[in-house]
Amino acid sequence: MQKTRLLAALTLTASIAGLFSASVAAQQYAAVDTTNQPLSNEVCATCHGGAGQGNPVVGGPSLAGLEPWYLRKQLENFRAGIRGSEKDYIPGNEMQASVARLSDAEIDDLVETIAGWKVIENDHTIEGDLGNGQALYANCAACHGADGEGNEALGAPGLVGRNDWYMFRQIKLFKSGYRGVHPDDTAGRLMRPSTQSLKSDQDVNDVLVYINSLDR
Amino acid sequence: MKKFVSRREILGLIAKAGASGAVLQASNALGIVPDSYVDIPKIPPVDSGNRPSVVVLGAGVGGLTAALELKKAGYSVVVLEAAGRAGGRNMTVRHGDLIDEVGNPQICDFDDEPHMYFNAGPARIPSSHRNVLHYCKELGVELEFFINENKETYIQDDAMLDGKPIKNREFTTNARGFMAEIMAKNFTNAELDQPFDEWEIEALMRSLRRMGDLDEDMIYRGSTRGGYSHGGFLEHGHAHETIALRDLLKSALFSEALSQNEGETGPMLFQPVGGMDQIIKGYLRKLPDEVFYNVMVTSVMLQNEGIEVVYEHKGIKYKIEADYCFNSIPTHLMTGIDNNFSADYKEAMAYPRRGEAYKSAFQAKERFWEKDDIFGGISWTNQPIEQIWYPPHGMYKEKGIILAAYNYGGGMHFTQLTQEERIETAIRQGEKVHPNYRGLVEKGITIAWHRMNHMLGCSARWQKSRRGFTQEEERLFQTLRQPAGNRHYTIGDQMTKHTAWQESAILSAHWAINDMLARKSGSTMPGQRV
Repeated sequence: MQKTRLLAALTLTASIAGLFSASVAAQQYAAVDTTNQPLSNEVCATCHGGAGQGNPVVGGPSLAGLEPWYLRKQLENFRAGIRGSEKDYIPGNEMQASVARLSDAEIDDLVETIAGWKVIENDHTIEGDLGNGQALYANCAACHGADGEGNEALGAPGLVGRNDWYMFRQIKLFKSGYRGVHPDDTAGRLMRPSTQSLKSDQDVNDVLVYINSLDR
Repeated sequence: MKKFVSRREILGLIAKAGASGAVLQASNALGIVPDSYVDIPKIPPVDSGNRPSVVVLGAGVGGLTAALELKKAGYSVVVLEAAGRAGGRNMTVRHGDLIDEVGNPQICDFDDEPHMYFNAGPARIPSSHRNVLHYCKELGVELEFFINENKETYIQDDAMLDGKPIKNREFTTNARGFMAEIMAKNFTNAELDQPFDEWEIEALMRSLRRMGDLDEDMIYRGSTRGGYSHGGFLEHGHAHETIALRDLLKSALFSEALSQNEGETGPMLFQPVGGMDQIIKGYLRKLPDEVFYNVMVTSVMLQNEGIEVVYEHKGIKYKIEADYCFNSIPTHLMTGIDNNFSADYKEAMAYPRRGEAYKSAFQAKERFWEKDDIFGGISWTNQPIEQIWYPPHGMYKEKGIILAAYNYGGGMHFTQLTQEERIETAIRQGEKVHPNYRGLVEKGITIAWHRMNHMLGCSARWQKSRRGFTQEEERLFQTLRQPAGNRHYTIGDQMTKHTAWQESAILSAHWAINDMLARKSGSTMPGQRV
């Protein structure tokens, strides 16, 4: 170790050790009790990127920069099965399973930890017509704000800095009725009809190109 | 109306499906049984005052091979591993071990005995995998024979014989008998485009008769090769009732049964005594201070001279600089790690699909298979569990670990179930092969490679089509194989044309080291070596 050049350490994130120490219900055939077992404490980074910037190849969106209230709501929704229970929607299913056993205190810890993550600028992956996108965005601005800053009171998250490929997929999920249909998903049920104003994939691409431009 | 198939068409079909010798030859040409060779990189020893530094990402077979060979030549080596254990997909599960599936962590509760283990990843070493065998020898890993092919095992198909399992020997004896009869009926001089002489015809007929156990009239009327229903030693043996070809054809396993155990899963096969991870332990004995665990890489940056890797350990970030990086992190996870690679390189990194594979295992309360003449090998079923493996080791001990499901190609069926559903499904499906299965097995474990932490996939899938690499896929593969900035090598079985094997991971590491050496030695020439 001494032969390689180890440089100074800089602490950007707090340890989230112990987050996944929740016990697993005893099972008939697999007597599993993971209480106090040394489970991996870096589960999030495997899917969401080494620094929370997201990973399109495994479908994990960026977490860095998410508003704490929104992050908490989504963790709770996944835990309750309001999100992520769609059949054959694998990234959502994976997320649902990952958080199903989190306690309230663990969600508190996670939200606090991720709130401290430094935002890494995302690559833009979508091409489209900026002008058309700007026109279409007028409809979005009502909830998400003119500059994509979000609106907690309406349950509308900020859009700046989110992965465009992730937003594309979510809009498609809303449009096709996979998201925003659960009776307890108040904000999602508002979002679903709004997405119908985007008539085609091209419309979705165009509006995302405009949202990307808010990044600058 | 049934489609009429002419005799010549049948002959063509049989020639395609049955001529295993020819198939094997063709497979060689197509790279299905790839040629492997032992060509350990000859790394010139380095001056102790000026040792090049290498950071290896990932302590699987590929990473450990690179680390070992470079260390032997005097390089300064550090291996960073995200998990709390080395091995990657080389994973043997024993009493107390963590199966770190995202969202479904399990602690294995098998009895704590040396033979009570489960090879959750690679589980057999083909005798043609010379490099794996080379390292087993070098690292002092004791090997024993692994039994893959065993005709005492079962074939079960819901569509055949009302789902009743039958012994593989019954199935294959009958299948081969009928096929030999059909071939014999068709092989007459007049009907073939390419006439054989009488000697050749006779030789062919003789071998067909032997192959299918046909009678003098070249008719298949059953065979004792499928085993006796009773007698055979003190009394005359009575063959099992012949199973009609029509019944056999109802099973999709018909084509499988005659083609299994060819190529890389044919004899001879080996396994390390005490679990596949004995290989990893062998590597680690030679790398006692080099491997660091629970280390998550957060960025990999090429620099003018060297490469910088930032990683996080227990919430603290560190930065490490080295001359070279050998990176075996799965490409689909590397796309989520900050880097400054070229757009082409990133595009190639994002291309391979993450493989789906699923295995599960039970502890058996007794070695019930041994009472059924089974001492290893695989039973096949048309159900999603597909296979049941019986351990070739631990013979006559009280208990054993059996593989309860193995789906290599499309493991998502099980992956999407809860742990309880996975276990119950494995029991219910296993009951169709072994009727009293439920009472005989316990302490099930499941390994859904698509969700294993720090891996999120089994072997990389480069090809979208079974027909082979497209030109575009070849371009992407070659792009990713070239070192980024002459310093960063993507390695592992993912960087071969034959993913999923340990042999591939080793050969990839060797290739990268040899490429590095060639570039170094060529550095006095203007331009770059191509």
